[in-house]
Amino acid sequence: MIYISDKNKLDNSYDAIVIGSGISGGWAAMELCKKGLKTLLLERGRDVKHIQDYPTAMLNPWDFKLGFNNTNADMERDSVQGSAYDPATKHFFVSDADHPYIQEKPFNWFRGYQVGGRSLTWGRQCYRLSDLDFEANKKEGIAVDWPIRYKDIAPWYSYAESHIGVSGQKENLSQLPDGEFLTPMELNCIEKHLGDSIRKNDQNRLVTIARVANLTRGWDNRGPCQNRNLCSRGCPFGGYFSSNSSTIPAAMATGNLTLRPFSIVTEILYDEHKKKAKGVRIIDTLTNEVHEFFSKIVFVNASTIATAGLLLNSTSSRFPNGFGNDSDQIGRNLMDHHSAAGASGMHEGYQDMYYKGRRPSGFLIPRFRNLKDNEKLDFKRGYNIQGHGERQEWMDKSYGLTGFGKDFKQQLTTPGPWTVWMAGWGECLPYQDNMVTLDPDLKDKWGQPLLKVDFSFRDNETKMMNDIRDRSAEMLEAAGFKDVGSFNYNRPGGSTIHEMGTARMGTDPKTSVLNKFNQMHEVDNVFITDGSCMTSSASQNPSLTYMALTARACNYAVEQLKNGKI
Amino acid sequence: MNRRSYLKSIAILSGVGAISFSIFKGFELTKPFNINDLSGDRLLIAELVEIIIPETDTPGAKAAMVHDYLINVMINCNSAKQQRKFLSGLEDLKDYSLDHYKKDFLKCSAAEQYAVVEYFSTHTGYSYKILNKIDNKLFGAPFYTKLRQLTVEGFCQSQLGATKALAYDYIPQTFEACIPIKPNQKSWATK
Repeated sequence: MIYISDKNKLDNSYDAIVIGSGISGGWAAMELCKKGLKTLLLERGRDVKHIQDYPTAMLNPWDFKLGFNNTNADMERDSVQGSAYDPATKHFFVSDADHPYIQEKPFNWFRGYQVGGRSLTWGRQCYRLSDLDFEANKKEGIAVDWPIRYKDIAPWYSYAESHIGVSGQKENLSQLPDGEFLTPMELNCIEKHLGDSIRKNDQNRLVTIARVANLTRGWDNRGPCQNRNLCSRGCPFGGYFSSNSSTIPAAMATGNLTLRPFSIVTEILYDEHKKKAKGVRIIDTLTNEVHEFFSKIVFVNASTIATAGLLLNSTSSRFPNGFGNDSDQIGRNLMDHHSAAGASGMHEGYQDMYYKGRRPSGFLIPRFRNLKDNEKLDFKRGYNIQGHGERQEWMDKSYGLTGFGKDFKQQLTTPGPWTVWMAGWGECLPYQDNMVTLDPDLKDKWGQPLLKVDFSFRDNETKMMNDIRDRSAEMLEAAGFKDVGSFNYNRPGGSTIHEMGTARMGTDPKTSVLNKFNQMHEVDNVFITDGSCMTSSASQNPSLTYMALTARACNYAVEQLKNGKI
Repeated sequence: MNRRSYLKSIAILSGVGAISFSIFKGFELTKPFNINDLSGDRLLIAELVEIIIPETDTPGAKAAMVHDYLINVMINCNSAKQQRKFLSGLEDLKDYSLDHYKKDFLKCSAAEQYAVVEYFSTHTGYSYKILNKIDNKLFGAPFYTKLRQLTVEGFCQSQLGATKALAYDYIPQTFEACIPIKPNQKSWATK
């Protein structure tokens, strides 16, 4: 490895450095650039340019010679990622063989090391947290209190939604606040039927269309969504929000952005005299050279597990246990939503109805459990149910068909009965010992310590999953569904790809890493606005919250910088 | 029930269970095989997929080259135990044609070929669901189950299958959530 020490420090100096170009890093880069800061955006993977680097986006099913089956070689090399990708999306996932990590217990760590990160393949669901979520830890004496409340973040939710474009339906629910919505997508016949039945049986429950960052009309020179439902391949129509389609081009347009792919940040550098971060050290994966870059502020957006690893790996005489880690909270409180429990069923009605187009979203049953203090359930917090209705197409229908030949073909190629599948996306409590650490011995091919993930769901999550099964099955049965079956896929942590919590926000530096502006308690020019900042997980898909917190933190950071406070 | 499956059911259903079961499987599982041999049965597989999804007013599986798809997927995307099971099932099918019609499958009449496939389609796996589950997990899906599954996915995702036998909507543009079904409506090819 060559250490580049003769670089002119001036050449390597910026106003701001952003580590990671995924959904929150893209936002940080855009906001800082728009506010006039010369910003270096570091990404450990390759560049992915909007449209031109979406090689599978316009392919037909028959263009994949092995269908959507992964090869044996793929599955051997990518035992984790291979369970999430298929030949149409494989290029947006890392190779497990090249990027190993240690699972103390089974934990799926899905990663996309490229410009845009997992914003290319995300689920696009956008839900606001509410005070039910922000107050829960305090009320129940769990972990630490969030240092913010809904009113602090509400305008930033609006700001984020107005930029990315979210289609959705206002429902006036306190537990799931409405946002700035484009025209909602539409529920199909069976989903409306289910919604009517649920509303009739319990006035606290309803079915609404998913709120998604898919554009129902042109927005910010993107879209509209073409209803192809091939989002994870990258959208040549810009029909959904990603760093690649939106924030990075916007940052680039300011002239203030330097984007540096193939750059693994190995350490954040601490200036003992100024008591600030002075910059970062990286390995250029193309040349194996080590470089240092310097800046006035640093935004860490490497994604929850990697961010924890980077902080733990950034040691100094001031911070022997990790950067800004006096609280010993860095790496702890890892959370991921569970989404493995639910129910499905078949309905005999609406045989004369169908749909056209492939809506890239489903329905949502907003949280209806533990909305009040006196519900006496055997678990804390709650879940929202996500699902979709469809008429059985060839794949699912074929399992129920017998025989072969002409009749079989006839059956196979005509629409089957309506079915609904739904599952609960449930809150996971923060546990101190669900944690990310560095292996003391094992290193990756760049000489960096391997990350070790020790995570399990506990009693509260298990009991909640049981409730999800029962309530889901009940709702389907009450709506006249047949062959209702509830399930729990028992998937390991990480499977929902909502990792969070490893550098939590809080008011007390003794028990938290970040203050209410995502600023490190102990190093005031470092901000962390990816999922690691989350004090609790709530049950809402979290990306929108990361975006809102990022915009808010950027605004604060630049104000502080201009006022000479940092 | 042929001798092999008869032995299998006896072994499993009688209390002797594990031991004789594993001896039987041990034999089947250690026989060396080369999955690339499958290409040698290309014509045979083409007939099988066509019998499962025949040409009607729309093209069948053979015209859609589903046999090539099936061979490719079996070679590249299936575990060794699944490959072994498939090859072994194909040999059983050849044996069955010879035993019953004294001819290679490809030399059999259409009616005879149909009867052979009929036999295998109704003698797949065990009549006890739980045994099927165990067997699929340990040794891969049964031959006919896999044959039909790959025929279905190969056909429905082929250009002819998707665009002629099913309704393929490349760029839908709009989503129409609830519309009256059209006469002779075909399923959407993709979702």
